[in-house]
Amino acid sequence: MNAFIETIRSDDQATRDRSFELLCNGLDLRSTLEVTGELDDYRRTEQNLYRRVRSLFFLSAIHRYHLPTLFSDQASNLIPHDGFEHLLSRRFLEAIDCFLAHQERHGASDGLSSALAEAYHKLGFQTLADQVRSSVRGVRGNQWMFRLGHPAEHPLRVRKELLPPDTSSEGTSLAPIVRETTAVRMDLSHSAWSDIFFLGMDFPEGARVINVSVDLGVKGRDNHTRPPIEAYFRVIDEPVVRLTSVDLGVTTDVETVAEMFDFGRDYLGLLKAALIAAGVVPPGLEGCGHSIERVLLPLVGPKRGIELVSMINDIPKGSRLAVSTNLLGSLISVLMRATSQVKSLTGPLEEDERRLVAARAILGEWIGGSGGGWQDSGGVWPGIKLICGTTADENDPEHGISRGRLMPVHTVLERDSVSQETRQALQDSLVLVHGGMAQNVGPILEMVTERYLLRSETEWSARRDAMRIYDEVVEALKAGDIRRVGRLTTENFEGPLRKIIPWSTNRFTDRLIESCRDRYGNDFWGFWMLGGMAGGGMGFIFEATIKAEASRWLAKKMVQVKREMETSLPFAMDPVVYDFAINDNGTFAELLIDDRATMPDRYHGLHMPSLLRTSPRDLSAGRRREMERVSAMCNEPSGSSLASRLITTLLPTPTTQSDSAESLQAILERSGFDTVAHESIRADLISGRIGLSQNRLPTNTLIQDVKEDDIIDLRERVDSKNTNLGEQAIREGRVAVVTLAAGVGSRWTEGAGVCKALHPFYRFGKRHRSFLEVHLAKNRKTSRKFDQAIPHVFTTSYLTESPIRDSLARHDGFGMADQVHISSGRSIGLRMVPTVRDLKFLWEETAQQVLDEQQQKLRQSVRGALLQWAKQTGEASDYTDNVPSQCIHPVGHWSEIPGMLRNGLLQQLLIERPQLDYLLLHNIDTLGANVDAGLLGTHIAGGQTLSFEVITRRLEDRGGGLARVGGRPRLVEGLAMPNEQIEFDLTFYNSMTTWISIDGLLRSFGLTREDLVNASRVDSAIRELASRMPTYITLKDVKRRWGHAQEDVFPVSQFERLWGDMSTLPEVSTSYFAVPMQRGQQLKAQAQLDGWNRDGSAAWVENLCDFS
Amino acid sequence: MQVRKAVITAAAPDQSRLPLQQLIDAQGRERTALALIIDEATSAGIEEIAVIIRPEDASAYESAAESTSVDLHFIKQAKPTGYAAALTLASDFIGSENFLHLVGDHLYVESTNQTCAKQLINVAAEFGCSVSAVQATRETNLPYFGIVSGPRVPQLDRVFEIETVLEKPTPTKAEQHLITPGLRSGQYLGFFGMHVLTPEVMSLLKDLSNAPESKPASLSDALAQLPGRQRYLAYQLRGSRYNLGVDYGLLRAQLAIGLSGRDRDLILTELVDLLAGRLEGTHQS
Repeated sequence: MNAFIETIRSDDQATRDRSFELLCNGLDLRSTLEVTGELDDYRRTEQNLYRRVRSLFFLSAIHRYHLPTLFSDQASNLIPHDGFEHLLSRRFLEAIDCFLAHQERHGASDGLSSALAEAYHKLGFQTLADQVRSSVRGVRGNQWMFRLGHPAEHPLRVRKELLPPDTSSEGTSLAPIVRETTAVRMDLSHSAWSDIFFLGMDFPEGARVINVSVDLGVKGRDNHTRPPIEAYFRVIDEPVVRLTSVDLGVTTDVETVAEMFDFGRDYLGLLKAALIAAGVVPPGLEGCGHSIERVLLPLVGPKRGIELVSMINDIPKGSRLAVSTNLLGSLISVLMRATSQVKSLTGPLEEDERRLVAARAILGEWIGGSGGGWQDSGGVWPGIKLICGTTADENDPEHGISRGRLMPVHTVLERDSVSQETRQALQDSLVLVHGGMAQNVGPILEMVTERYLLRSETEWSARRDAMRIYDEVVEALKAGDIRRVGRLTTENFEGPLRKIIPWSTNRFTDRLIESCRDRYGNDFWGFWMLGGMAGGGMGFIFEATIKAEASRWLAKKMVQVKREMETSLPFAMDPVVYDFAINDNGTFAELLIDDRATMPDRYHGLHMPSLLRTSPRDLSAGRRREMERVSAMCNEPSGSSLASRLITTLLPTPTTQSDSAESLQAILERSGFDTVAHESIRADLISGRIGLSQNRLPTNTLIQDVKEDDIIDLRERVDSKNTNLGEQAIREGRVAVVTLAAGVGSRWTEGAGVCKALHPFYRFGKRHRSFLEVHLAKNRKTSRKFDQAIPHVFTTSYLTESPIRDSLARHDGFGMADQVHISSGRSIGLRMVPTVRDLKFLWEETAQQVLDEQQQKLRQSVRGALLQWAKQTGEASDYTDNVPSQCIHPVGHWSEIPGMLRNGLLQQLLIERPQLDYLLLHNIDTLGANVDAGLLGTHIAGGQTLSFEVITRRLEDRGGGLARVGGRPRLVEGLAMPNEQIEFDLTFYNSMTTWISIDGLLRSFGLTREDLVNASRVDSAIRELASRMPTYITLKDVKRRWGHAQEDVFPVSQFERLWGDMSTLPEVSTSYFAVPMQRGQQLKAQAQLDGWNRDGSAAWVENLCDFS
Repeated sequence: MQVRKAVITAAAPDQSRLPLQQLIDAQGRERTALALIIDEATSAGIEEIAVIIRPEDASAYESAAESTSVDLHFIKQAKPTGYAAALTLASDFIGSENFLHLVGDHLYVESTNQTCAKQLINVAAEFGCSVSAVQATRETNLPYFGIVSGPRVPQLDRVFEIETVLEKPTPTKAEQHLITPGLRSGQYLGFFGMHVLTPEVMSLLKDLSNAPESKPASLSDALAQLPGRQRYLAYQLRGSRYNLGVDYGLLRAQLAIGLSGRDRDLILTELVDLLAGRLEGTHQS
């Protein structure tokens, strides 16, 4: 029997836990293909969900990690476009069939395997997500909400005691308010992310979490700790659902059911999800087309509505304390109290009610398109609790489908097991912080799931370690040994967590831990990672007597380290330290009546200005009564802060020219921003002469794959004559390296605007290294080997120059200061608001990955809002509503070599070393590129001006390639492809790595080495060539940060000229080298890192480096 | 088990006028709702009936009761202190006997040759315990009814052993605690407004109405305590109940009674005529 299938089906634990590597061991190409065929047949017929999912992950891993090592480089490598389209449209089954049929006809290949790996991977996750979704729907108490189809049939009623006083009477009493306060949770151990639904449902024995409900205060801002989450509910005398988020400062009146299901249109999606998940507007009503008034009628009676207000006391995003899940829980709880779905209107909840609220919160997260683990609603429970997975019995909807249940079991540890002294000791030793980073944990959770299903040896044993550590943490808590707790959480973080997911930590966190150890030695008891990853919410445990001092020091240290690293890692805010206290209530409600029935002060600050602008006659009786009450409160002794808040919001604040606007202008002036060119681009954009669709070559352009003679295949063998030639050139100092580092890697950090070159993305040796360090380490190795210091140029832009200079200065040039040169960029552009035409082209005309159902809905709604934004702000107007560095952009990598001519760096290099003849130019993210003697020799022997390195294509390698256009080989940018299908017929992808002959290059500019002293001659030569280069319009995502670590992403227009277009110039002689995949592979997105690490590429790169 | 006495409640402030409404019965005679309810009881062999009313409605009820062969008592509830309290007023009348309880704002139409009350009393007689009439109720109507759940009595199609009783549950609670196997999803066993009860229920009711609760107790509160103490069954009888208290309740009840009787064709013709006229009107506008 097929060993993979045997592993999946076995009842014997040891067999079932066999690792993927063990199963692959010794399989050659033919037998691997046989195995995948059998596995694919098996997954088609297997009824059991988890077996099916595991076979899908095995298939994906075989195609991603095992098969690529077996292919020869010569195999045909094309990926059928039909399959790709299926994949984008989430038709995974069809995509797999299409790829397999292609494999049958043309044989297996690396490219095809990359496509199959992706399709199996996505199908696996889709199957799991579908199962979680159906389990969430199937939880008893949730099902009815999906059956309700008409508002008139609404079976819920708001409690009578919450209905407002009769509006017809001249009463002065206010509508009662229910206020729910809820804690957040911090997890002492999640047994290596074992709270992921999939894990809990497949491996309930291993799914165990210990978490603590806490109240918070920000040190230096709040006088005391309190439950950070508050939710308010009341009935109002207007037939709308009024939603207000006090922290985000937004409010809206929802008037239709359609608006309620539109999550992306404002920042109130979480409140909407709560109303839906609480059954007030049940999910079954989506698309019914009715007004909210119709829905409210049975609930609260005619001409009445409800109001929901949320407040999280300005806890920043990314706190890893599950603020949003617990806020959702709090909102759901208050709504369920108001509609009698839980018994008590006030006080704490009972156990089965908490479980129901947690189940609804899971439903709400799914509806809102997000999702965490099942421990996240821990703040609904009181104190310290163990949350454990449990097997599904025959009364559970999961029975017969998965081994475990969706919903875990909570056991609250009372004071007889964890004493009051221990609780106090924990509070006395732990410093809770937010490091300032707000990253998306989603990809990590996917990796954990994949790892779990593959049972790779190191990671599976790490999981067992994590389970042991969990037991020991519980023991240590019961024994009251906080020092041991600290040791264990550190062991957990540095051991199993890092082994399973290397990306759970980062250089920032590691530096903080090192600093704590250096300063406090044995008095630093340990580090505690909260939630899914480090960098945001974290805990540092100290000896109690030094905690106060340590927490002050840590607050300063974090800011200092952040300052040093903020250009290389994406921070969303400055770090803060929290005060905290264990919360023994969980979620708790009180009823505010009569004069106490008022909303929080900040609510009034938000609403009062617009109320005052409205004529009293147009205000409802309830609103008028509330205004009267606010007025009375301002006159009470305790009302001074409310009064001053109101004054501040009502009166205009003196406007000062904002610093950022000023400095943007200054930067533009200083950097020689070309206003005339900018205005002409704007005019062209508005008139439609340029734009995304105009980037494309005419549709009648004949684009074909290259012929065998068009490339020089250096994948398996390089002529030794050429290698010798190359080695000699290196020894003679005739080559230099140019690394393109002007960009901010929009895709890498999703628009966070940090310097990609400095991002410490991977641990080589003992610590994280940045792209810049890796490139220098490769250079060091070659330089040492040939005993010749190879000059290394980093080209920069305004955005990256000073961070790179600072970093080099701080690290003493990483030991290569005399070889490193910085080329200052001389061109920047100002980003513009995109045109509606380009936005629509991007979203409708180009191939886009369709997302999972709910996320796709959310995306559509966000896109609607972005179109509105573009129209309202003004299409093609300057994008200035952000920090300056996010408003300007480098103008594409074509300008970087001309930049070296302009700023005199090339001239300086040639003066220093007149023998310099060749440059190796490469992207910052092409980690495999180094000064390879064989390739250099081949370039020298060929005598061409430019030799471009190309690689065979994998699924993710999109964005152009090597093609014959009109019979002549050249590089075609993805932006320029007349249609997207053509790219799939091109075997080779452009790695952008280029060998340049300096004299030939200068000739193409019409220059000689001697001309470089003549700045005006250089300038006009560059301008002339630039005018022959195509200008592409692109849309890039930029993040705009606001509030407390909130981030919005906007697509903005910018223009670029690209280096690959040099190959279109007939007078420039070019050749194309096919090189091994690992040499040309680029890391464009952080999501690639994991595969890159696992498939051996990381080790391959490390082998090229010398970090000593 | 013998059932001779019946108690009809009609003292709730918002329902007290409903039994006085005039309808046309299945035979085409003009009757009050109260008279129809009394007929329902007498059809099952009831000999004595007590009606709980508000003091100010006494004369109206006396005339609405029409002439009847049974022994009729009117018991006045001075203040609206709740359903349970109203029923306890009949405890002297009941003494130590089992009794049939009907609510004054419901009318019943059987779908066999036995009236609803007769069917229920037969089941009570067979099993010798309290029995509540129930019908499958969609979850959207949960805010109006008491709901019960429990397993079916083996071999019997329509009899259930009641384990749980909840008054007007939310669908959330109903789904968690009140699912009865064999019903369609989203359906529950809802009270029919007709019960045969043992005298012990009366003492439970008394205890409840004496307890210092903030909310007045209901019959469901008492019945919820019954399963632990004695056998308590639900019977899904063959017939329908019509709540006069909801919007168009009287109209629906009248139509149901009319369509089950002598003038069925006449009513159908009138309805068709009404619909046709309305369609025409729509068309013209």
